[in-house]
Amino acid sequence: MSSNTLALGGTGNLDEHHRQSRQAQWQADKWMMSGALLLGTAVFGIFGLPLFLRGLWLQIRAERSGLTMRPVIVTLIGYLVAVDAALNTIGWALDLVAHHTLLARVFLMAWGNMFDAGYFWHYNELWIGGATAPGEKSWEIALLPIVFSMRIAAAIGFLQMKRWGHQWLIVTCWFGVVAWAGYIANMTLYADVRYTGVVFPVIGWWLYDIFYITPFLALPYLHSVNREIFSD
Amino acid sequence: MKPPSISEHDRRRKKALIALQLVCYGYLLMMFCIQLYMYSQRDW
Repeated sequence: MSSNTLALGGTGNLDEHHRQSRQAQWQADKWMMSGALLLGTAVFGIFGLPLFLRGLWLQIRAERSGLTMRPVIVTLIGYLVAVDAALNTIGWALDLVAHHTLLARVFLMAWGNMFDAGYFWHYNELWIGGATAPGEKSWEIALLPIVFSMRIAAAIGFLQMKRWGHQWLIVTCWFGVVAWAGYIANMTLYADVRYTGVVFPVIGWWLYDIFYITPFLALPYLHSVNREIFSD
Repeated sequence: MKPPSISEHDRRRKKALIALQLVCYGYLLMMFCIQLYMYSQRDW
């Protein structure tokens, strides 16, 4: 230990290095958080992407200058999961509780017309309102409060390099596997309801939704990363 | 310099992860193919 501190020129330098690293990380995170917030709204995503990329560039630049930063892969996975959960939340929350608003009727029904008739066929005609596709509302009720809110919390903990963030990201990524397995089965079983009369059946829906499947890709990393880099 | 050898435990864990990923993505691919088949048969 003494040789390390001597080589660094004393503990003062180490503290200064730590302070500068934290400052640079916070600076980069401010840009990335602003970008992620906008990306998570879907509608303003186009404005969010440059902000996020600037934050990422700041982080990489600080790392190259010798500061101790969060690993880039952790940053990418953490923000990807947060944005994914936010996008799912905003769409489904609109459908669940704001289905009669102009915003929901324009965006969700346009989505329904293009890719998924579950959001077009008899829209707002059931007692609960919103999408009428069989099973759709059950997924919204089950996944919004349990999976997506938990995923955002886990992503924040993961970005803070907390042990609980790493553990809960693994849990919620597996939740994602379960959710997707069930949701895709539902889409296939009721395919006649969901694809009849839409502009881009099947291929359009998959092209659009494949983005939401990507958090699965984090699982091998999360299971094989050195857990010691996450702290209590 | 010789790289450190991967322990048997890690090797098994990686194999299990690959198998699980194959099952997950295989299932999704299968569902996509079923939907494509239905698309080819129906007047959507």
